[in-house]
Amino acid sequence: MTGALSNEPLWYQLLIAVIKASVLMGALLGVTGWLVLAERKIIAWLQGRPGPNRAGPMGLFQPVADVLKLLTKEESIPPFVNKILFIAAPAIITITAMVSYAIIPWGPNPVWGAISNLNLGVLLFLALSSLGVYSIVLAGWSSNSKYAVLGGLRATAQMISYELSLSMALLAAVMMAGTLNFQLIVEAQRPFWFILLQPLGFFIFFVSAIAESRRTPFDLPEAENELVAGFHTEYSAMKFALFFLGEYMGVILLSGIMATVYLGGYQGPILPGPVWMILKIAVLFFVFVWIRATYPRFRYDHLMQIGWKWLIPLAVLNLIITAVLCLTFPNLVPNAIH
Amino acid sequence: MKFSRNVAKPLWESKDNEHLKGGFSGYHGVAEVRTIAADKLVDELQALKTDAERPFPVLFDLTAIDESQMVNRPDKATHRFTAQYTVWNPSKDDRILIKVPVDDETLKLPTVEGVYKNANWYEREVYDMFGISFEGHPYLRRILMPEWWEGFPLRKDHANRATEMAPLVVTPNMLEDFEGYENFNASGDSVMRRVSDTGEELMVINLGPNHPGTHGVLRVVLTLNGEYMEKVLPVIGYHHRGAEKMAERQTFHTYIPYCDRVDYLGGTNNEMPYVMACEKLAGVEVPARAQMARVLLAELYRICNHLVWLGTLGHDVGAMTPVFYTFREREHLFKISEMITGGRMHPNFLRIGGMSMDLPPGWREPLKFFLKDFDKALTEYDQLLIQNPIFKSRTKQVGVMSEEECLEWGVTGPNLRGSGSKLDLRKTNPYSGYEQFEFDIPSDTGGDCWSRAMVRHAEMEQSARIIRQCIDLMPEGDYISRDNRYAFPPKKAETMMDIETLINHFLAVGWGLDLPAGESLGMVEGPKGVIGYHVVSDGRTSPYRLRVRAPSFAHMQTLPALSEGHLLSDLLANIAAMDFVLADIDR
Amino acid sequence: MAQNILFYLAAVMAVATTSMVVITRNAVYAVLYLIMSLFAVALVFLSLNAPFLALVEIIVYAGAIMVLFLFVVMMLNLQGQRGDEATKRPTRRQMIVPGALALLLLILIVVSLSAGTPAATNAALSDPKLLGELLFTKHYLGVKLSGIILLIGTIGGLHIGRGGSIPSTMEKPIDDVTH
Repeated sequence: MTGALSNEPLWYQLLIAVIKASVLMGALLGVTGWLVLAERKIIAWLQGRPGPNRAGPMGLFQPVADVLKLLTKEESIPPFVNKILFIAAPAIITITAMVSYAIIPWGPNPVWGAISNLNLGVLLFLALSSLGVYSIVLAGWSSNSKYAVLGGLRATAQMISYELSLSMALLAAVMMAGTLNFQLIVEAQRPFWFILLQPLGFFIFFVSAIAESRRTPFDLPEAENELVAGFHTEYSAMKFALFFLGEYMGVILLSGIMATVYLGGYQGPILPGPVWMILKIAVLFFVFVWIRATYPRFRYDHLMQIGWKWLIPLAVLNLIITAVLCLTFPNLVPNAIH
Repeated sequence: MKFSRNVAKPLWESKDNEHLKGGFSGYHGVAEVRTIAADKLVDELQALKTDAERPFPVLFDLTAIDESQMVNRPDKATHRFTAQYTVWNPSKDDRILIKVPVDDETLKLPTVEGVYKNANWYEREVYDMFGISFEGHPYLRRILMPEWWEGFPLRKDHANRATEMAPLVVTPNMLEDFEGYENFNASGDSVMRRVSDTGEELMVINLGPNHPGTHGVLRVVLTLNGEYMEKVLPVIGYHHRGAEKMAERQTFHTYIPYCDRVDYLGGTNNEMPYVMACEKLAGVEVPARAQMARVLLAELYRICNHLVWLGTLGHDVGAMTPVFYTFREREHLFKISEMITGGRMHPNFLRIGGMSMDLPPGWREPLKFFLKDFDKALTEYDQLLIQNPIFKSRTKQVGVMSEEECLEWGVTGPNLRGSGSKLDLRKTNPYSGYEQFEFDIPSDTGGDCWSRAMVRHAEMEQSARIIRQCIDLMPEGDYISRDNRYAFPPKKAETMMDIETLINHFLAVGWGLDLPAGESLGMVEGPKGVIGYHVVSDGRTSPYRLRVRAPSFAHMQTLPALSEGHLLSDLLANIAAMDFVLADIDR
Repeated sequence: MAQNILFYLAAVMAVATTSMVVITRNAVYAVLYLIMSLFAVALVFLSLNAPFLALVEIIVYAGAIMVLFLFVVMMLNLQGQRGDEATKRPTRRQMIVPGALALLLLILIVVSLSAGTPAATNAALSDPKLLGELLFTKHYLGVKLSGIILLIGTIGGLHIGRGGSIPSTMEKPIDDVTH
């Protein structure tokens, strides 16, 4: 709530926020379509096939064609659904994902670096990501069909479980940085990136992030071979597209958080901050895609076991180790709480 | 190459002298034929199953024949229906065909479901197709035809084609069948319960007939307690095309393409038991070159089948990539198959007495080229999928079945060998010259889905080994028998050289072959399990009755035993690891 | 000024949504209204310059606890509507005790509010570091006690949860399968 602009008039603060938000949203919405294309292309190459190549050169206009198709498709709402929640559900996931982008820092500038240079950024991220679950739960329930309900139940259990390890991994990094502000977390990584100090934390966060974004090998909620399409079985056209959008924005968001917290954020030689950020996000996104193309899907009980019996104890262990480290080697992490 | 006159006899001549007048040519492909009265059936079968010296642990097949229109009936009896039970001792490959006359008035037989578990579905099929009911059967209900179907399709008085029947009018009660699995059981119990023993409410789910995980139009009705399956009920018949009925109006030769379409991933593996059965009936010797070419194609298609299987298994446990890798190799094989047979999935290549063409010149090179890289590909699948820890966790200890249970359910092929057995017809009863080859029978003792994967993976290696030997050993010579009463003469140009061959060819194509009267069972080790074609001929140009014993049918019957009490995800792993084709189940 | 407007808007919303929790018949809607109410309360915290509390409220209550509530309600709902007491309109006699309690609460709230203006916002409410120090020094005992209570709750939950029957995967005899 406090920032570099707090002494400026309200209208000025608002204007700047609107400008920043529109630039980022425009870029994000535009880029997501091509990220889908990138994922399809990468997977296609990994699988030895050309991938989409009909719309435009190398299939570059495929996202345009997809969006046009989704926009012009009939909006069908099945007669047996709970209408209000059925419509609200896809909106929630997209909105929570979009709002979360406000806190990612793209540069060191306190005004232009992030949309909202929030002191409690980490908490806001956790709050919004925990709200994303509602989208899935409500989609599953309001669809009023069996596969959707099963998918919704799976998703809820999975996302609640993995959120714990995700936040605990993040807390260890916060402890080292001594702040909940993402920009300050980046600044705290001037000597070392946190991936070097928190390898275990990074691993836990990465695994939990895959589970949170419901991608292979944690894509049980929409496991097509078992549940047809899981919670979004009954969705079509733009409402389906919103789920799709939400999923991809979630992946980029989590990559962004990982880049910020563990990979030194916008830091890097020569190139400007935002470029480094985009590069790091791209690398992480590629790893997401790579994993999706490689691994089979977990079984439900194994998933829960991994979450509760491995990741959470590991995260607690990581937390304790970090605390001990911070207290014994105060010079290693100068910003940490002592 | 000219066809000698002493073999080529005019058809009318041979017909009078040897076939119909000669009467019944006997039973082929079985060691013994017994007739057992219906009231002694259960006891006799029980005795046979547990016999100390000569046990028959497997009920290989159970079917019936409507003998009302048979000319030259060998037993001279008058009853209309005869049930046929084929019991089998796989380790010695000893088979007995048991014939049981069915009483015309009651049309009833005792169920042998208590002796051989897998009789369950077979008896339902006989009930469905012939209207013979089985006393004491726990769930006697149509299995392939819809519940509202009138008449019994394999009876001789049932129409052959839809155009011979009145137009089908869809009525509401035809659609009611869908939720109709509630209150139907011989003892009056509801089959699909909605409340569990402990009082939890269960969710009933129709997995299929249109579902991305069932590999086709298979429907599995499930009751779920949470994600655990309490009851699994496979409902089949959505892919039923009447392959057995079709045979009754095709000539012996024109039925061959239909074989391809039974197990459409098995290619020539399905034609082989059929032509072998016909050859036994006709007494035709297959030239050595044709025999080895058949082996070559059979192994080639075995690899094709296992490649599809491995890819789809990976896909069903959520790995999206392996299927593209396996299809890459399969595409190579299809190109080779196209070069040799002209067809890809449906080669239609084998003929009674041999093959339709000789192997093309230069056939060795593409095969060698393929085999060069195939080992590398196999290693790749192994590393990418089979040794993957997540894949192991999804398939190990899932769908466990012991060797005894497998035999009890009539499970054969790689599924049986995944349970520790070494039974393989290619070794226990080598046909088509398999005894010349050096190869191992891979087996694994786990009995779970992962063992099935291991066995099939190793089998691909062995098949490649056999193909390598075929390339080296392939003899020169005829590709089809010169006995052209039954075998087509090879080339038009030679057909035109002498009149008898021409006449034979003309009659065989225009009229159809009339194989000697008799019964013959052809069995091969197919990619999915043992395939059996039981051909009954009464001396006319079409099979009087053709029975297709498909491995997938037997395997699908084990799905409840494999899956009940497990998680929903395991059902999909089981379905995928079982290796079935819907057309092979429903025929 | 802006914060006052925010406060009153959020407060009205909190009251309205909380009433809807009681009024609505549909259990799922009730849970959703409760979530909205929690959001409104978070907004109230925000307007009182306590962003930390606001976010923690969302993370803990809206993000974690209410999801579980919704989860359970949906599971129950799934098994069909039964003619429960819960869905019937209550009789007048049934209204007396809850009504009296609600009245008492209302009086208490009015009295406590009229006693004075809200306390000046504490610096500890906006700074997590200060709040943490406060919790682990001054209120050490309270934190410890609530930790113990939560532990007891966890153990109890585990105990109850284990009582349920999960079908054993291997116990089923194979003869059982006779359709």
